[in-house]
Amino acid sequence: MLHACFVRSPLARARIASVDVEKACAVAGVRGVLTGADINGEVVDLWYSQVGPDVPRTPLPPLAEGEVRFAGDPVALVVADDRYVAEDAAELVAVDYEPLDAVVDLHAALDSDSLVHEGWAGNVCAELATPTDHLAEAFANAAHVVETEIHQQAYVACPLETRGLVVEWSPADGSLSVWASSQSPHDFRQFASRLLGVAEHKIRVICQDTGGGFGQKINAHREDIVLLLAARHFPAPLKYIEDRRENLMASSSRRESGRVRMALNAEGVVQAATIDHLSNAGAYPIPYPLISSAAVGAIFPGPLKYQLGAFSTKCVFTNTPGLTAYRGPWEFETLAREVSLDAAARQIGVDPAELRRRNMLSRHDLPHTNALGMTLTDMTPLETLELALEAVEYEVFRQEQDEARAQGRYLGIGISSYVEPTTTNMPHHGSEGATIRVEPSGTVNVYLAGGSAGNSLETTAIQLTADALDVDVGVVNTVQGDTALTPFGSGTAGSRSGSMVAGAIRETAAILRNRIAEVAADALGVRAEVIEVAGGSAFVEANPINALTLAEVAHHAYFGKDAAGGLEASARYHTQAPNLWANASHICTVEVDIETGLVRILRYVVAEDCGPMINPNVVEGQIAGGVVQGIGGALLEHFEWDVDGNPLATTFVDYLLPSTTDVPIIEYLHMEGSPGPGPGGFKGVGEGGAIGAPAAVANAVADALSPFGVELRELPLSPATLLRHLADGGAG
Amino acid sequence: MKAAPFDYHRPETIDDAADMLGALPDARVLAGGQSLVPMLNLRLAYFDNLIDIRGIRELSMASTLSDTVRIGASVTQAEVELNSDLARSVPLVARALPFVGHFPLRNRGTVCGSIAHADPAAELPAVLVALGGTVEVTSTSGRREIPAGEFFLGTWWTALKEGELVEAVRFPIAGDRSGCAVREVARRHGDFAIAGSAVHVEVDDAGCVAHSGIAMFGVASTPVHAREVEELIRGARLGDLDIEAVGAAAVAGLDDIPDDSNASSLERRTLAAVVARRAVVDALSEATR
Amino acid sequence: MSEHEISVVVNGARRSVRVPSRLSLADLLRDKLGLTGTHLGCEHGACGACSVLVNGEVVRACLMFAVQVDGDEVTTIEGIGSEDGVLTPVQAAFRDCHGLQCGFCTPGFVVTVTALLERNPAPDDGEIRTALSGNLCRCTGYQGIIEAVRSLRSGVEHAD
Repeated sequence: MLHACFVRSPLARARIASVDVEKACAVAGVRGVLTGADINGEVVDLWYSQVGPDVPRTPLPPLAEGEVRFAGDPVALVVADDRYVAEDAAELVAVDYEPLDAVVDLHAALDSDSLVHEGWAGNVCAELATPTDHLAEAFANAAHVVETEIHQQAYVACPLETRGLVVEWSPADGSLSVWASSQSPHDFRQFASRLLGVAEHKIRVICQDTGGGFGQKINAHREDIVLLLAARHFPAPLKYIEDRRENLMASSSRRESGRVRMALNAEGVVQAATIDHLSNAGAYPIPYPLISSAAVGAIFPGPLKYQLGAFSTKCVFTNTPGLTAYRGPWEFETLAREVSLDAAARQIGVDPAELRRRNMLSRHDLPHTNALGMTLTDMTPLETLELALEAVEYEVFRQEQDEARAQGRYLGIGISSYVEPTTTNMPHHGSEGATIRVEPSGTVNVYLAGGSAGNSLETTAIQLTADALDVDVGVVNTVQGDTALTPFGSGTAGSRSGSMVAGAIRETAAILRNRIAEVAADALGVRAEVIEVAGGSAFVEANPINALTLAEVAHHAYFGKDAAGGLEASARYHTQAPNLWANASHICTVEVDIETGLVRILRYVVAEDCGPMINPNVVEGQIAGGVVQGIGGALLEHFEWDVDGNPLATTFVDYLLPSTTDVPIIEYLHMEGSPGPGPGGFKGVGEGGAIGAPAAVANAVADALSPFGVELRELPLSPATLLRHLADGGAG
Repeated sequence: MKAAPFDYHRPETIDDAADMLGALPDARVLAGGQSLVPMLNLRLAYFDNLIDIRGIRELSMASTLSDTVRIGASVTQAEVELNSDLARSVPLVARALPFVGHFPLRNRGTVCGSIAHADPAAELPAVLVALGGTVEVTSTSGRREIPAGEFFLGTWWTALKEGELVEAVRFPIAGDRSGCAVREVARRHGDFAIAGSAVHVEVDDAGCVAHSGIAMFGVASTPVHAREVEELIRGARLGDLDIEAVGAAAVAGLDDIPDDSNASSLERRTLAAVVARRAVVDALSEATR
Repeated sequence: MSEHEISVVVNGARRSVRVPSRLSLADLLRDKLGLTGTHLGCEHGACGACSVLVNGEVVRACLMFAVQVDGDEVTTIEGIGSEDGVLTPVQAAFRDCHGLQCGFCTPGFVVTVTALLERNPAPDDGEIRTALSGNLCRCTGYQGIIEAVRSLRSGVEHAD
């Protein structure tokens, strides 16, 4: 096994005058050093399945050539006998950089004389705006116009296992094996096939036990691309495991900003609202970011009833790491809306819970087509809010808050409600296959594309299969994450796995049950129509005493005299609904130490509706993980750059993930009464926690500090930030 | 993230270690390694030779002498933390240790190593300064003692000369009527402090401060001996303490307060005053309880 | 760079191996001894995924060089679990309480919790949180992990 290490740019923007690999190649144990000049020309075709080939192709060189565009930009790949030697040699690759002015600030980028990419004027990567004329009257007549500006810092997915892969090229048969840390094994294979011009069936991608993804591992990144290209240059398996510093400085970033305007009538009912949204595309976004960026605008109305809306969105190139998916890619809409609602409540003098009651959709209002034309169905926004308010004992808390303030202690409560389109039927994500095989012994294997990265897809698949066949979970096993063994599926993304896997298993199990009935009927000498398949056996309803166990049915299917066909089935499920809407209301209570700016979370309540729960442990686990990522985003995590684009948080000493001492006990309430239009009524739940949490925490902190006239406009809410606001006496 | 090459040495006596440190080029002492090894892995530090002192028996002792506790260079933070006799003798050290990283790090990290590493935001250097402790150092040219007040020269910079290694540190034993406290503001538990204060007070029979030792950390390039606070509270009782004045005195002399992404100088100054005030109140409450 | 013959007892078996001075203990375990249950999440001592026991004390395997454990006893996650696959009470509690999702941080947590309970069989909630604050998890929000440890406190009946 050979080991790879990247030489990365120390500068955010510079011209590469020269790259000298001679000294590095001379190190004992080094097998070669590749630069952009060596491999970039080998790319056959490079586009992402998620968005297709027809969107604008933003520049994506495997290795930087001519210019480096962010601190961490890969310039060369060193391959050696072990990673230690590869790192030694990487230090000896002499790159002559001529520094250029870096584009770092999101707003300044639009007017900068410097362009991140030649030919992309104004550093605009993608933009979209809807008309606003129809709103003028509502704003002109509004009793209250509330304007807020919100900046969300760069924070990152940060899976505990970094990115990485092993590639092995077999020249004799022109085949490639890849062991990847990916959420989408089949898509990784499609991507590799296009990239290399190698037939898809000659590529095998294996993804087992991926150590967290959260969106970062949906698509192949430049490092993956380089390794795929490098595989054909080395006659041995080649391994690249990203280190933590690389994961922080080079894997991805998400940084957004928005200006919100809301027009409310005298009763505090929102009449119209707009959001102008800026999103950092970084230097190399993956994939083209317009879809997720436009979603921020389209979903901005969220659970609110208002019917007049507009948005604009711009994705901006900067000399920072590229934008890629992160759990709830449109999370910013919730932050912007919910923070604005609380600002409106304070401005108008209405309680924030009451303001929401006047504006939020109830299940009885659905279906509802929102101001941007999206049709919301099968949800419980107002109902989850009421449930959460009751659980947190909102009125009691308000009394405690008053009493605490009288003693100089500052408690706050924050609400955040969101609606989320899960399980979209975008072409690439709209279908999922399954194969279920009853093995000759009667045990069951269910084969699925997989891509689980800690979202318990294995448990879910076994449970659903056991239910669908009515067998004990103990006899079901699942095989996932290997393109050579499993049917095509597009992996874990967009809170799709639960519903899509349920659909695939339902379709497949239905066929297999018929097959079981046929085989059992044959063995029992009866018609298949009278056979019941239940409780791990097949029997004639009128005569259950003669039941065949699944093992007996299987034996007959494989070894009986008419054993054609064995006992397995394959099928695909295609989702019809544009998406499955899920929703939740989060309520957080905090205490802020106004002398130190430290925030302590007291309670955290989530009332959610993901439809009927397949497995409550899995649902709650997904919510908890998401909520804590959101708490991190609200209070701790900050992938910061200095003005020259140098990253300031490249280790876990500077990039602060929440730990056990930073998180509260999370309380869950489930509403299962509004099933979605998919199989079982199940709706997605993988991302919601991360969508709701930042706004709930931010609103709670702002509520605690409301006696000081503080309006919070940027995350994270660090002690320093809060002290600054308190010192400014609300001027911020 | 792998360390660059180095040669590893494991002497068995202090003299051998001193010889190696004097003779080998670009040599560095490796004790617990909990600060050094991350820097090596990140290739923020390079040394040709590492001298592991954990094989030296004499350095592994922590002992209570007549009026001081002496902690050898390879004694881990956990060994001190879990030793109830030591904790009774030098309670401020015991009080500070839970703030030092996390317990798995304290299982390897040494008290002397943290002090020799001289991170200005670390707790133990401040404790040494607050208590007026002593650093015992040795080299091929002999042994010497460096008072805490003269040991810390700047960020990761001490009065250790080339070829010198820390043999032990000594902390004075606390009196019967004493109290202590460590207060800090950190982003998370176990992180380096944005600002912190370590306070030891001794009171007389009337509950008045007879003597105190106070140091601030995270607010300069070294731990800072807060003499003005010590002056201010001498003779004071908990009930008549002007706590606002304590905070003001704690930051009065600070003129190079760090300014970084965790806090500006101004915010740090605010926080330093708060933690000093709270630590003095805590310590005095404990002493007069 | 110097190389060293070291002798170390790993999970009860004595191993003699020649190591370059800079080889980390984690890389010794993973690459030379094939014990890949010890995971590397940061390699600078901040995440705790590589936690192992050295002479019974939990330490970061990324912050020690292999040469430093010459003569010591090292226990990894493979040595904590039994060879026949029967889970230890700590492992079983993690499973029962949904205390793991992707599983990458789990070996470090299990090792740390095992050491914690050895030292303090009945930690209160604050002690649990403090003791685990040096181990990072990005999936679970720590809810199931904390619940698992609470269920293991002595005097607490373990839920099936």
